Amino acid sequence: MGASGASIEIKDLRVWFGAREVIKGVSLSIPRNVVFTIMGPSGSGKSTILRAINRLLDLYPEARVEGRVIIDGVDVYGDTADPMAVRRMVGMVFQIPNPIPSMSIYDNVALGPRLNRLVKSKKELDDLVRWALEKAYLWDEVKDRLGLPAGKLSGGQQQRLCIARALAMKPKAILMDEPTSNLDPVGTARIESLITELKEILTVVLVTHNTFQASRVSDYVAFIYDGRLIEVGPSSKIFTRPENELTEKYITGRMVA
Amino acid sequence: MGALRLFERSLFKKNREYFFLLLALANIAIVFIVITINLVLAGQGVRIFIKEGLSFITTSAWSGVKESYGILFALGGTLVTGGIAIAIAALLAIGSAVTIIEILPSWARAFASTLTDLSAAIPTVIYGLWGLFVLSPVIGGLISTPPLSLLTPYLGSPGSLGTSLLSASILLSIMIVPFSTAIIRESLARIPKYIDEALYSLGLTKFEVVMIKLRYIRTSILTALMISYGRAVGETVAVAMVIGNVLNPDFWRIFSPGYTIASLIADQYQNAEAYTYMVPAIFGMALILFLIGLGINIYVSIISRRG
Repeated sequence: MGASGASIEIKDLRVWFGAREVIKGVSLSIPRNVVFTIMGPSGSGKSTILRAINRLLDLYPEARVEGRVIIDGVDVYGDTADPMAVRRMVGMVFQIPNPIPSMSIYDNVALGPRLNRLVKSKKELDDLVRWALEKAYLWDEVKDRLGLPAGKLSGGQQQRLCIARALAMKPKAILMDEPTSNLDPVGTARIESLITELKEILTVVLVTHNTFQASRVSDYVAFIYDGRLIEVGPSSKIFTRPENELTEKYITGRMVA
Repeated sequence: MGALRLFERSLFKKNREYFFLLLALANIAIVFIVITINLVLAGQGVRIFIKEGLSFITTSAWSGVKESYGILFALGGTLVTGGIAIAIAALLAIGSAVTIIEILPSWARAFASTLTDLSAAIPTVIYGLWGLFVLSPVIGGLISTPPLSLLTPYLGSPGSLGTSLLSASILLSIMIVPFSTAIIRESLARIPKYIDEALYSLGLTKFEVVMIKLRYIRTSILTALMISYGRAVGETVAVAMVIGNVLNPDFWRIFSPGYTIASLIADQYQNAEAYTYMVPAIFGMALILFLIGLGINIYVSIISRRG
């Protein structure tokens, strides 16, 4: 694994669900190997932006996308783009920890590499699974029970398993959609420290409504409100000298939704 | 719920105990009826086992005149038609459930679901009529012409109108598809959207995602198919109409007409009392049919608890 993540360029992104425009022209420039946080209140369109990056919006027949997303020079919505190839390059972790509960811990991590034929031998797969679980700080807790159904793990462990599952594809970026919103404080702290370490090997795009989390882990923060980009910049600047009144209201907890 | 509560209040006011007593009585009555049925089955059926012994189920003979009864041909016919029906139904049900949930646009989904559900409500005698006058002749035609007719030395040849064990199997599979489809379809639809998202986010193709989801609900699929098998084994009217009703000791010759236990009972009960042992023989068959159904039910409850 090289130390290089992908850069992601979002240009004038517009998304409609049916007749309703939910993303109203958002442009973002995400550098490689950083934690880039998309922050905003519930319903502001954060998750939709995330799903536009890896074309997961294709799963929603009522969704329509305009604008461009470019990942390491690959035009995600270009005529020759292959959504499957894009998703192999960009992993994703979701709000609800979603391993396949009846499948073993091992098989959950091995799922992507196996089906995408990333490995040539059982040994190689074993090594990859171990590497991914170690990177997700789960290995020590599960190494003796890799055959256990994933559903038996705690919520926090399941979420780290999902991170390992994404990492096993050796992606260049990982999209995290409110990964701690269903976890207790201990689980949350583990995931947060994991996020800041992951940027060593890839680019992290984090979505959260939690300003404290954003300030703890981010290098860059984009504040989204009602489908529009309000302000973007280095985390230190956004949280100390926000330029926009809305941003200031949000980070100080004075926003009335 | 609202109507029930109103009923309960107006009739019983403070005396709710009477209401629960009524419920308990209904329950006791059902248990009593089931026990009585089993006692009659066992009491009557045991006489044929005393007379024929194990040969009741290991030989093929059915003659009131000779007072000789061996139901292997019907037992075999039951298992063979049920087995073929369930194999065909599995393919059709999984296929149509996947088509409805994964491929059709949402407006067509409800329409297709309603249509399959409706076909479960058609009375079996109508399936039987259609099977006899439409399906059987087609199947009969197919197995009487090459290449299938080349198998005639091994699998036999159909009766008039194409009646055969194969026709019965295919008709049965068509009859049980709606139910199996409904269960598999609902299980597929119940898989949360976030599981789909997780699978697609790994770069998997639609085919791979569907295969993983089917594996995910494999217990439901197995349960649906086993319950359907139970129905197929017990199905009477429609099968009796297309199976040909011929004593066929080589029940594996599926191109020939034959019998199932249920169709043999339906065919023979009218004149049974003319013979000494035919009534016990029919009850003995009924007992075996009941035991097959019981076995399937126990199996289903075990797998669904484990899954």
